Amino acid sequence: MKRYSLFILTIVLAAGMSACRKLNIPPTNIIQNPAVFSSSGGIQAYMARLYSELPIEDFRYSPDMGLNFFWIIKPTPATTGEALSRDQGGSSSENFGDWHWDVWGGNYSTIRDCNYFLETLPANAGNFTPDQVKQWTGEAYFVRAMTYFALVKRFGGVPLVTKTLQYSPGQDISDLKIPRASEQAIWDQISKDFDAAIANMPAVNSDYSDGSRANKYVAAAFKSRAMLYAGSVAKYNTITLFDASKNQLCGMPQSLAAGYFQQSYDAAKMLDGQYSLYLSAWSPTDKNAQYQNFVNLFSDPASKENIFVREYQYPNSVHGYDAYNVPRQLMGPNGYSSEVNPTLDFVEKFDGLPKNPDGTLKTLDASGHYLLFNNTMDIFANAEPRLRATVIFPGDVFKGQNIEIRRGIYTGPVAGGIAPLLPAGSKAQYPTANLVVSPNAGQTAYKLPDGTSMNPAGLSGVFTGDQTCAISGFSVRKWLNPNLPTSQVLENNETQTWIEMRYAEVLLNKAEAAVELASLGQTGSINTSDAFNIVNQIRSRAGADPLVGAATIDIVRAERRKELAFENKTYWDLRRWRIFNQEQNGTIYRILMPFYSAQAGKYFFDQRTDERNDVYTYDTRWYYEQIPGGAISKSPNLIQNPGY
Amino acid sequence: MKKRFLYAALCLAIAATTSCSKVDNYAAPSATISGKTVDEATGETVQTEIGGGGTRVKLLEISYSSNPVPEYFQSKQDGTFNNTKVFPATYKVSVEGPFVPIVQTDNTGAVISDASQTITLKNTADLTFKVQPFLKVEWVGKPVVNADKSVTVQVKVTRGTTNPAYQQDITNINLYVSNTQYDGSNNYDPRYSNLVSYSGATGTALLGQTITITTTGGALPDQDVYFRVGARINAGLNEYNYSTPMTAN
Repeated sequence: MKRYSLFILTIVLAAGMSACRKLNIPPTNIIQNPAVFSSSGGIQAYMARLYSELPIEDFRYSPDMGLNFFWIIKPTPATTGEALSRDQGGSSSENFGDWHWDVWGGNYSTIRDCNYFLETLPANAGNFTPDQVKQWTGEAYFVRAMTYFALVKRFGGVPLVTKTLQYSPGQDISDLKIPRASEQAIWDQISKDFDAAIANMPAVNSDYSDGSRANKYVAAAFKSRAMLYAGSVAKYNTITLFDASKNQLCGMPQSLAAGYFQQSYDAAKMLDGQYSLYLSAWSPTDKNAQYQNFVNLFSDPASKENIFVREYQYPNSVHGYDAYNVPRQLMGPNGYSSEVNPTLDFVEKFDGLPKNPDGTLKTLDASGHYLLFNNTMDIFANAEPRLRATVIFPGDVFKGQNIEIRRGIYTGPVAGGIAPLLPAGSKAQYPTANLVVSPNAGQTAYKLPDGTSMNPAGLSGVFTGDQTCAISGFSVRKWLNPNLPTSQVLENNETQTWIEMRYAEVLLNKAEAAVELASLGQTGSINTSDAFNIVNQIRSRAGADPLVGAATIDIVRAERRKELAFENKTYWDLRRWRIFNQEQNGTIYRILMPFYSAQAGKYFFDQRTDERNDVYTYDTRWYYEQIPGGAISKSPNLIQNPGY
Repeated sequence: MKKRFLYAALCLAIAATTSCSKVDNYAAPSATISGKTVDEATGETVQTEIGGGGTRVKLLEISYSSNPVPEYFQSKQDGTFNNTKVFPATYKVSVEGPFVPIVQTDNTGAVISDASQTITLKNTADLTFKVQPFLKVEWVGKPVVNADKSVTVQVKVTRGTTNPAYQQDITNINLYVSNTQYDGSNNYDPRYSNLVSYSGATGTALLGQTITITTTGGALPDQDVYFRVGARINAGLNEYNYSTPMTAN
């Protein structure tokens, strides 16, 4: 035994001494510049990384989980009041803690990747045509602008790094602890980077012309979004933070608002005539065609409205939007469904519904009794086609099925009309007398007076026990793939394209910038009829009532929220308008519960506040998010935002 | 086989006993900072809410660095604070909450006043910060139980400061109902609480008047219920000033 040990030791020692002494070779586990910057294939790989890191709030985003996450059960619309979700019980800031999204390190890695590309490509320009070099340079500026936009809209001023930072072992790192720049400096850098992107990129991306890679107009469209955000912050923000050298880290002087709004307007104007609203299946007179057109808008790859998209491909890059959001009766094998249930508050923003003078849905007759309907769809018979394409009403058809949503069966007397189940405004539970309900999907049918049977709840709810159903009385339709077989409604299996920027938003950016500029007395450089025309263009496509009278800021904002609902845009709009805390101020959102009256043989609707009594209160501090503690530990020069 | 197992066990035993013997030799933080935030006009503590939306104490350990990362701890609901786990050091202490800031800056970031207190903490420090609350919410009488078992309260809201930068309109006057005394904007029963938002000067017009608020949602449950009224202006971080919590009887 001992002899063997000595023998082995000798061999080991001998091997150790004869190791190769030439250590001066490039590390073979790191891809070197020549491999990347000598062929367009190498550049494509680099671009694939930049674009996959691009911080956009797509199918794989939620405030709770951050970007590029697969499990989206606290969806963004359930934080904005557009919808309710059983897994989201109130207002929410983004969650940067623990194993969630590394917003700081992640975005600065992307910025470094852009800086590295911009510094390395010129030396290798000889390997490519000048047009290629120009376009790719523009794309790197585009990604950098987008990444700083993602940081500044969350944190205000952040460290401004436009060159790769170098570190060699033993170096003093105090130079690398870069303090935060002013918020204004970041917005101005974003504007500059977008300008460089616009100047360098062609009208059509020569590598991918399908909108998944940027071109000149993509950069202009995002510039209009970013500058609108900047203008809104300058105009509406009231939170300020200065560092010791009087750099304003949070907030900007109001005097800058007009300049940013003008940049937004001008950038949006660049897209005039380049893109158009999607109207392929549209007809000016046929509401059904308008509805189908708005549905198709989100799935037609030929749409001229798509400006910038993120594509998915099984199995490399996938999402699970349908798995989480289909109505309960179309639930896929994973067992998820109906995470996004539009609120009545959201639905009431649209045209074509019977309404009371105060704008609420009309569900009671003049004597204060419930209006009765033969079918749950009757009340929505004239609903704006855009709403029907956005929200599944109780009783509407999806994937060839009648989406059945019913809270319960009312067995009480109907002579003289049915009085409301609860006093107006009551937040109490429904009474148990005269009501038959189902706690879950395993239902016991109720025998109706005519001898037929009916389940207390619809196939898609409402189930009082487990809430895996349309808890608001509605289910979301936007983005759902109507052709996906139920067996394929699975997490990490879906590949429909996310449209991050479409022409409707650019138009609405332009309209909003125009109205804001007019309110600041800057009418010289805009067309003052723009806002009115744009709102009517959008409404006409939507099948909504045309605007008469002036397009005020409230009208433009309301139009934006309707058009871009469930596209993860409203969250940022409510932030930049600084009205999140006014809208969510001890707010309980409203829902619409369809009931079937056994004795009348008809349906009625009860509108009430969310039965869970979930209160939404947006904390004013969240307009500037908390800088992750880990980032401050690494670089103590970072000053935390106010209130954290 | 058995021998090898024993060797392995021996190795593990050695490893286990020779693990780092350097215990944390730094004494646990043992000093105490306590005190209160009081209204400089009345001397009463400034009511606040528990949790992140209320008054908190800010510590800058200037003996460690001239530009330290601040540490915070939260005040109690009644405006007093007490932290018994602080390291002895020199601190610049201030409070943040629904009152005119201790450290005021103008719109260019220049400090125009700073009422922070610098202490050399050895064992205990008891601090009193005199501040001007944005609003004062005072009870007028006691909550009254109505015939339908709802409850009506009366309060008076006045400004606690004449500072021209903090004369914004009142945006909310809310009656919070809770089954604990820790009643506030982050802890209330939405079925009975009566929340009212005001736009423009309508809320401000109620300043100095006796405001009558009744709970919503009908009869209150037969249990201990605490009432508290919160009001706020849109200043700073939009925090509420509160009355004291009170029961109906």
